[in-house]
Amino acid sequence: MIKPKIICVTGGKGGTGKTMVAVNLAAMFKNRGYKVLLVDGDVENPNSYLLLNAKLKNKAEVFYFLPKISEDKCDKCGLCAENCASHALLHINDCIPIPISTVCSGCKLCYKICPKNAIEAYLKVIGWTYTSSAFNIDLLIGELKPSEARSATIVKALMEKLEQITKTDKKEYDIVILDTAPGAHCDVEELINHADLVIPVTEPTKFGKLDLVRIIELINLLQKDYKTIVNRSSLLGYKDKFLLDLEESDIEILGDIPLDEDIVRSYCQGIPLMENKRKSDKNGAGYESFNEIFERILEWGDFLK
Amino acid sequence: MIKIAIPTCGNGGLNEVMNKRFGRCDTFTFVTIENNQISEVFSVGNHAKSEAGGVGIQATQIVGNHKANEVIVDFLGPNAANSLKALNIKIYQSPGGELTVKELINLRLGEKLELISSANVEAHQGMGRGQGYRR
Repeated sequence: MIKPKIICVTGGKGGTGKTMVAVNLAAMFKNRGYKVLLVDGDVENPNSYLLLNAKLKNKAEVFYFLPKISEDKCDKCGLCAENCASHALLHINDCIPIPISTVCSGCKLCYKICPKNAIEAYLKVIGWTYTSSAFNIDLLIGELKPSEARSATIVKALMEKLEQITKTDKKEYDIVILDTAPGAHCDVEELINHADLVIPVTEPTKFGKLDLVRIIELINLLQKDYKTIVNRSSLLGYKDKFLLDLEESDIEILGDIPLDEDIVRSYCQGIPLMENKRKSDKNGAGYESFNEIFERILEWGDFLK
Repeated sequence: MIKIAIPTCGNGGLNEVMNKRFGRCDTFTFVTIENNQISEVFSVGNHAKSEAGGVGIQATQIVGNHKANEVIVDFLGPNAANSLKALNIKIYQSPGGELTVKELINLRLGEKLELISSANVEAHQGMGRGQGYRR
């Protein structure tokens, strides 16, 4: 079995069109006969399924470990508190340690080293994963429970599921597309780390450039191959200036997508612009740009072999 | 009997000024009050002061291990506040300024200090050389 090619769509700034690009890439690969899995790793706002008119299925809970101390078994030795790197166990001499859950990293060290086995795992539900399918594209989605802070745990759970799927599933995906959250934080890093190719999506504004530079810094740190898509490139007529600016900053460009009503319509309808079955204008500006970008991706990732 | 812990500068003691940072103070000065009189004073070094994180919890451990049942603080972060509450240690708010331990104890005995129940600064405000920012 051949390992699927993993493409990560990211971009630093929010609202640049990461999910729109991810969904359309998925559709274009599928149109060419590839078996595609789209992973939504924007766990605080997972919404890729809306752009595919899909329904969430197979809800599964994601747990986070917190220590719970059994008062009967604890001999108050304090070994757990002494060794807790986050200092998440408050131990006063001759007293039972008190877990301070807000600083607990969930590493389970206390649980493993307690000589009396007095630490139980209190598994807290902090979010969910789902699967779905639409237009012959399979989806894997993570969702963080509102008010919970540990989004990286959900992303990790997604990556574990992905590993299981690519290892054991008979479907044998050819392409996995990872859609990240905005920002250049640990959730995004985890996803980029799993990718063969990284596509940051930006827009021709100062905000777009600033956040793009930040995400490229992260991509370079992780030593990944990337090429940028400039979305809404016809916005306010800055396209040429912006593309030149990126070139002068030695930023690799894959292509640009102009403002296009067809894209907006497809977005609202939940049918990707590049979906074969969609009756869209095949000569539209958005349609043409996506096709050009797709050809360059095929060449870039050696998909043509 | 009440035993009050106060974050202090230098070696601590009755004439030393309070350290505005709880978790990252140099020393804790412990003052025992019996029949409205000071009966014992000693200070203990704060080994947690230069650690990267979780200092509020470790500092509370020092306070708890020396059996204080009250603290007087200036800036207090969320981890320290939660830890002190978990140990049922009363938290009194200093009025601010450069007050000595003795002055603060007098204010406490005169019931001039306000009891607080939660943090008054965000996490990690005590890091670096600057002072915390009070809400």
